[in-house]
Amino acid sequence: MNERVIPWQPTVIAGPKQALLVTPETAKMMLKKAKRPLLVLGPLAKEEPLISHSIEIAEKWDLPIVTTADTFKIYRDRVVETKAYGVVEILNLLKDPEWNGIKGEGPHDLVIFIGGIYYMASQGLSTLKHFAPHLKTLTLCKYFHSNADASFPNMKDDEWSIYLEKMKQD
Amino acid sequence: MAPKPKEFKGDFWKTKDFKISIGDIIPEEGTKGIDESSVPMGPTQKPNVTDLRSWDMKLLERYEPFYSPLCDMCCLCTYGKCDLLGKKGACGIDAQAQQARTVLLACCIGSAAHSGHARHLLEYLIEKRGEDFPIDMGMGIDIEAPIMRTLIGKTPKTLGDLKEALDYVEEQMIHLLSACHTGQEGSSIDFESKALHAGLMDNLGKEIGDLAQIVALDLPKGDAEAPLIELGLGTIDREKPVILCIGHNVAPGAGIMDYLEEQELEEDLEVCGICCAAIDITRYNKNAKIVGPISKQLKFIRSGVADVIIVDEQCIRTDVLEEAQKNNAVVIATTDKMCLGLPDKTDEDADKIVSELVNKQIEGALILDPDKVGEVATKVALKTSEGRSKVKVLPDLDEVVELAKECTECEWCDRVCPNSIPMMDAVMATSKGDLSQMQRLYDNDICYSCGRCEQECPREIPIISMMAKIGERNLQDQKYNIRAGRGPVQDVEVRRVGAPIVLGDIPGVIAFVGCTNYPDGGEEVAKMAEEFLERNYIVVTTGCGAMTLGEYRDEEGKTLYERYSGSFDAKGLVNMGSCVSNAHIPGVAIKIANIFAKKPLEGNFEEIADYILNRVGACGVAWGAYSQKAAAIATGVNRWGIPVVVGPQASKYRRLYLGRTDKEETWKINDLRKGKVINGEPAPEHLLYAAETIGEATVMTSKLCLRPNDTSKGRQLKLNHYIDLHKKYFGTIPDDIYKFVRVEKDIPITYKRDVMKMLKEKEWKPRELPQEPSLMDMEGD
Repeated sequence: MNERVIPWQPTVIAGPKQALLVTPETAKMMLKKAKRPLLVLGPLAKEEPLISHSIEIAEKWDLPIVTTADTFKIYRDRVVETKAYGVVEILNLLKDPEWNGIKGEGPHDLVIFIGGIYYMASQGLSTLKHFAPHLKTLTLCKYFHSNADASFPNMKDDEWSIYLEKMKQD
Repeated sequence: MAPKPKEFKGDFWKTKDFKISIGDIIPEEGTKGIDESSVPMGPTQKPNVTDLRSWDMKLLERYEPFYSPLCDMCCLCTYGKCDLLGKKGACGIDAQAQQARTVLLACCIGSAAHSGHARHLLEYLIEKRGEDFPIDMGMGIDIEAPIMRTLIGKTPKTLGDLKEALDYVEEQMIHLLSACHTGQEGSSIDFESKALHAGLMDNLGKEIGDLAQIVALDLPKGDAEAPLIELGLGTIDREKPVILCIGHNVAPGAGIMDYLEEQELEEDLEVCGICCAAIDITRYNKNAKIVGPISKQLKFIRSGVADVIIVDEQCIRTDVLEEAQKNNAVVIATTDKMCLGLPDKTDEDADKIVSELVNKQIEGALILDPDKVGEVATKVALKTSEGRSKVKVLPDLDEVVELAKECTECEWCDRVCPNSIPMMDAVMATSKGDLSQMQRLYDNDICYSCGRCEQECPREIPIISMMAKIGERNLQDQKYNIRAGRGPVQDVEVRRVGAPIVLGDIPGVIAFVGCTNYPDGGEEVAKMAEEFLERNYIVVTTGCGAMTLGEYRDEEGKTLYERYSGSFDAKGLVNMGSCVSNAHIPGVAIKIANIFAKKPLEGNFEEIADYILNRVGACGVAWGAYSQKAAAIATGVNRWGIPVVVGPQASKYRRLYLGRTDKEETWKINDLRKGKVINGEPAPEHLLYAAETIGEATVMTSKLCLRPNDTSKGRQLKLNHYIDLHKKYFGTIPDDIYKFVRVEKDIPITYKRDVMKMLKEKEWKPRELPQEPSLMDMEGD
């Protein structure tokens, strides 16, 4: 089996359905197709270079940002507008098809994750996989997340950096 | 017409254990000496599985279950495996119900572990002291068993009286476990109701266990001045024979301490423990020592310090025998829960067992008599210690470096680590002679030494042994202390602080409990406790959590137990004891309802839980919860209305209870004083919440101490802490602050201008303050 698509923690494999392995090109197609995407930044996105990557990707695709845990503070210091939720709180809202999104404009149809704690993110993605059929999930972390709908593969930092740079381009 | 099933739900069907002879009703057994005649009984004495369902539905409507499946499939029967992703299984179950079913199963396992432990203790102590041994908790405690009083409706006077309560727990547990069978319950919400019942049974089982051991073994009875106990690997005198007790049952350890005392050998041997057995042995005898929490287990066994390892029940490595054999340590199993394939030597002569163990004729022994364990363990330790000192158990530091050079950087140690810690980098640094990274993982148990990395390593590098060796370099610094578990809170303390807690003047009671599956070591938990202690909260603690708090020293070298008193009061750090002592946490909340608010307890669960939910600002923190027991503990206290914050690993329990602040209709409350239903507030906002970081957990914990009953003065205080902490970790005043300001007087003076500005932006209007907030007698009840 291709090591790049064995989940980073192999035991998170939950069942027959596995995430679609995506390149930046495919990920960008998902973004272009989405009507109301949302970027969710976890606590591993509190350090560089991930802060800059995340901000620039959000700017490029005009993504509203939710920060989880106490990630909010770093982005506030950078004068980047984000909305703080506990990760379980935002997931709880996202799984509700009647929730109108963080801007009150309607439900999100694509949720992009960066910087979640791997095992907890895996659990959260499982929640959305099972109970939020109305939206798609995409992870841009350097680890393959089998519970997402689409995920980058397992990568070393150098390759990941190239992937993230590509996400900032058309 | 045949009656519908629910029409059978009368008192007759709930009645248990009565016998009818001609014209007489014979009283239940186990009630002798109890004068129950003067106690008015509430509606739910000995509640059955469905008797508290209406209360559960109230909780679950407000705090909806949030599921995170760890597995898409069900593999419990031969119809399966069934993939439940978007589909139902062959039996008809869907993913939500399957998650709830798994949670119920976990709670049943956890509850059974505590209650089985209680059964062991009770039978042993009755045999030792007699059925009529009085339950006397001393002058300061009249309400000896608040959970039992509420659920059973009786006050136990003797050890024998505890049997009735334990019989009830066991009966309920059978029904609950039965509901997990294929083709039984089909509703996730009803599975949840049953899980809450299993949690409640867990609470009762623990209370029985701790009460029995406190009175029969004369453990501290709510003593705020309980002695400080030595804690840490560095406290163990390695020159002496060492007996290590692992697990939760005090009996074998007590047997050892008794034997040493009888033989006047106290100075000649070291008796130490890991996990809750350690806490309870030191409650029994302060000369025992605590190695530390569960995370120390493999590291300490591998160190080879222990000559004899006594295992009893729960949370023990199941490969303990194999690990012990690596360094010629002798294992003695002592309960039916863990026999390890060893020969049963319970009825054999002690000296013969010693001889067989010392001469390696048997690879260990199962001895189900705690007193005999004491004699055998002592004699074996004395005989084998000298020879074992020559056994080389850990690699030298030079060898550690050489072993690390075997690493091929395949990364599988990182990938299989449940905590995703950077083990490979630490191994690689070690290979270059830099031991600091491995040391960092050793310190504060950032690596809790589960050993999965070793299992996966294709080069078979003994990573845990290497880390244990590196960690031993600063053994001298690993000396801490902990206040011996004091047991329950005294009634007089409740009288003193009941009003300040209910009115909000003491901002909250925070309970640090649970295991050591911490995302980043134990120090941040201790610092969180320190933060709340400095802010005048009451901090209570138990089990591995209590040990973790003891392993942190401030700049002056003092532990939290040296800095803060053991009183149940503002700025008090109250170590209640072991896992089973967790019962005293809902116990004190119940006592507040009874002593301060005069709420009758007997058969009155719902009213008491309603009081706690709406008025007692208590919150649990189980930052490293890992076990099924922890699942049962949290679910049990949730049913009493006490919220719990858990760490990120707890997302693997599959279920949380989360409130939705945007659904205002779920927060309505009945003001019993005014007799009308009014709009409430999201307080407490969640019932079971998983945080990712300690900062998030700290802020959420302060928020979950808010209660509708807070006076404006109390609310000011609580909001002051909430805002302070939010500013510290998030940099701002929380933008949901308007939800918790009912009237202007609620606003903390320090933040008045800023908060008023935020309220104006939200077009905030003052709200009615409830005088007696409740979920009882709501519309639809």
